Amino acid sequence: MALPVAVLHILVTLADGDSHGYAIMQDVAARTDGTLRLGPGTLYGSIKRMLHDGLIEELDDRPAAGRDDARRRYYRITPRGRKAARAEIARLEKLVRQARATGLVVKHG
Amino acid sequence: MDRLYRALLRLYPAEFRDAYGREMAQMVRDRTAREPRARLWIDLLRDLLRTAPKEHASVLLTDVRYAVRLIRRAPMFTAAVVGTVALAIAANTAIFSVVNAVLLRPLPFAEPGRLVQISEKNDALGLPNFGASVLNFLSWRERTRSVDALSAIGFASFTLSGLGEPEQLSGNRVSPSLMPLLGLAPVAGRAFSAEEELPGAPSVAMIGEGLWARRFGRDPAAIGRTVTLNGLPVTIVGVAPAALNLISGGEVYVPLTIDPSKEIRLNHVIFVAGRLKPHVTMQQAQAEFDTIAQGIAAAYPEMRDWSVRLITFFDTFVSAQLKTGLLVLLGAVAFVLLIACANIANLLLSRSTSRQREIAVRVAMGATQGRVLRQLLVEAVALSAIGGAIGIVAAVWAVRAINASLPPNLLPVPVVHVDAIVLAFAVGLTLVAGLIFGVAPACYTAKTDVHDMLKNTARTAGGGSRARVRNGLAAAELALATLLLVGAGLLLESFLNLQRVRLGFEPRGLLTFQLAPPTARYPLADKAPGLYRALLESLRATPGVGSAAVSSGIPFGQGNYTTSPLQTSGPSALPAGAAVPIDWRIVSTGYFKTMGIPLLRGRDFSDAEDGGGGAPSVAIVSQATARKFWGDMDPIGRSLHRTADPRPFTIVGVVGDVRSTTLNQESPSIYYPLSTRAWPLMDVVVRAEAPPEALLPALRQRVHDIDGELPLATVRTMDEWLSASAAQPRLSATLLSAFAFVAVLIAAIGIYGVIAYSVNQRTREIGLRMALGARPGGVMRLIVKEGMIVAASGIGAGLAAASLLGRAIASLVYAVPVDHPPTFAGVGVVLAVVAFAACVIPARRAARLDPMDALRCD
Repeated sequence: MALPVAVLHILVTLADGDSHGYAIMQDVAARTDGTLRLGPGTLYGSIKRMLHDGLIEELDDRPAAGRDDARRRYYRITPRGRKAARAEIARLEKLVRQARATGLVVKHG
Repeated sequence: MDRLYRALLRLYPAEFRDAYGREMAQMVRDRTAREPRARLWIDLLRDLLRTAPKEHASVLLTDVRYAVRLIRRAPMFTAAVVGTVALAIAANTAIFSVVNAVLLRPLPFAEPGRLVQISEKNDALGLPNFGASVLNFLSWRERTRSVDALSAIGFASFTLSGLGEPEQLSGNRVSPSLMPLLGLAPVAGRAFSAEEELPGAPSVAMIGEGLWARRFGRDPAAIGRTVTLNGLPVTIVGVAPAALNLISGGEVYVPLTIDPSKEIRLNHVIFVAGRLKPHVTMQQAQAEFDTIAQGIAAAYPEMRDWSVRLITFFDTFVSAQLKTGLLVLLGAVAFVLLIACANIANLLLSRSTSRQREIAVRVAMGATQGRVLRQLLVEAVALSAIGGAIGIVAAVWAVRAINASLPPNLLPVPVVHVDAIVLAFAVGLTLVAGLIFGVAPACYTAKTDVHDMLKNTARTAGGGSRARVRNGLAAAELALATLLLVGAGLLLESFLNLQRVRLGFEPRGLLTFQLAPPTARYPLADKAPGLYRALLESLRATPGVGSAAVSSGIPFGQGNYTTSPLQTSGPSALPAGAAVPIDWRIVSTGYFKTMGIPLLRGRDFSDAEDGGGGAPSVAIVSQATARKFWGDMDPIGRSLHRTADPRPFTIVGVVGDVRSTTLNQESPSIYYPLSTRAWPLMDVVVRAEAPPEALLPALRQRVHDIDGELPLATVRTMDEWLSASAAQPRLSATLLSAFAFVAVLIAAIGIYGVIAYSVNQRTREIGLRMALGARPGGVMRLIVKEGMIVAASGIGAGLAAASLLGRAIASLVYAVPVDHPPTFAGVGVVLAVVAFAACVIPARRAARLDPMDALRCD
């Protein structure tokens, strides 16, 4: 089953380290050159479902004070989340290979 | 900015908002600082519109999943609820499809709302809606400025021959402007042209779609073919769509040719229709026709009492009685649904007690009261939806059965469809039903006090008011059931009255068929009477035939029912010159004997009068006619003449009165002998000494022997005619009785449920009473009394409502006052007995309780 785009991006961001909502949104926007800005509803809707499915978890202990606002809720990717992200990326890679084989996509460089 | 977004957050479900609202608002604050405001808002709104419905859907889906789990866990309960809903929704949907087809769907013509029937009326004669005469039609067509495309339809029957087995068909003479007036186009070929209305135009005909399919297999080559109609060659020029048949009832159409020199202004034989011009209202058109009618009356003295009445097409085709009947049935099924809802609500209420602990756990785990309420409503609607789906499928079958079994011509539409409107109605009703029966129990359950529940002391929490709600619902069920049962009782009483009506003739053993000898070969004034005389002679000699006769219209048949105003010239019980509308028939000798109509005075027609030729003009009147004109004077030897024609008829006999068109009224009649002239379509009636069906082949052979080209049409026994005439009252009475039965059954289950539940709840109290010395009889009385108080209030309210609502069915009942005391008393007693039985069962259980067990019971 394909993961929704927002979910995959959130997993990729969290794979880099624990983060909170606004930082996740900024990170995704930076990695996509601003083309994908997750709105609050999309972001927290995804987070809700990811928590439910066990792809991520909410942290009880906050990162050191001073680094960021302690009131924010931080999220961490779970092993299950890593596995799901890897599977999804492998699926996408396979799809890209197949697409290239058909000549639909030209290989760059 | 921040405030606005927080307000918008209310669009999300509460749980989601509670969980993430703060973070989402914080995120927007962060972004406001760094992003251009306009772009940010576009982003946010898009995000909101995309995700808010999604979150709601996901909550709903959770609720539905939860509901389905619960439904599967309680199969008996589910089956009871679903079955009740399915029954009620099926009945509502089926009845509504008929209402939709008859009352809501537009007639299949262009802009049917602007189509009007223009009829003549005569208040002095008590004729509110009479046919029009051809000459008046011509005057109207010439003078009106408010109505377009005035068209006439005449009624005729045709014998189609030259295509194998000859067939008798009903047909119409129509103005060429009729098809454009209705906005109908021929299915094949062409419609009539304006010139074809003129006398001397070539003989052309259109055939109905049904006939085209039946006799020509929809072959386009039928167009242009010459067939024989009533003995004359006629060219088929086109095929008329089925919709035309709706207003005319015919299968063959020929142009209505008009020769003014041969018409009489008082000969009211045609149906006239027209289309209101744009922006002209019914009132304006009526006012114009009033003026036109006054002008005609001034110019033609015979028209002085006649005026014109415009009637919308809807009112022409949908009788007030049919409309009332349908609405009463719709109301009845709606009541059944309400009773079902009340019953299910009670079921859910009693179940809510057992679910309180589960709810309390959910509340303790953080579910809000609104959330629990929503969950419970979703459960109710899910139950309703399953029932509704089954009900809709059942309704589709029911509608199919209705189409297959309804007597033709009972409804002014060919078929009843389950269309999008009906489906939307059924789905909407299902949802509303779920909310109705879900809301009260959900409110009570959701109000559960967590602390009490978890402490396990909540057994009586809210018990008092909940019991009141349960009792109220049970009483309401009984009230509605009472109302339905009174309605059904009145209709049933009325139907039985109709069955007991003295017909004035003896229907058993009568076999009837119709003959329409082509007038080209059998002119009405000489050859046709001769044909019938020969036929009757041959029929009477057939073994098994007791007697035989012909009539231009047997009672309850499809013959001619024309009424014509008559007056007398001699001494009379009426003011001089007053006319009375009298039903007339042309009959052969032996008609009264064959029908079993008693000859009260004078004599029957003689063979000389039957045989044509120069016999004097005589007539026989019914007793009511004699009394109207001459009171107690002896009518024999007196004379009557038609208002339109001064030639007198001498009365030679008086016969008993006969119900002839509707069971609920007797009409004064006059009978003319067959010698005067025949009618184009005559009913032959045979009193069979053997079973009528067995006699038929012999009768057919006799007709064939005389003329092989003459088809026998509409062969029926008199019992079949009578049964068809009572179809509508029988159907209303049957359906309403069925609905009332279901209603009483559900209401009885309802009151049983309430009492049984109450006994269950009060086990400990009852045990205590018994331990303290109460006798079983006393306990039983206590329980029954409780139930009967509820029952009495419900039945009382129902009877009161019935006495108020009875007027609604006044037009449907015959010879029963709508406040008929025996019906009311009977219904009250029946329901009291049913309620009593429903209370006694749980009461006996209570009386048999062992006090020790009862006290130990948790």
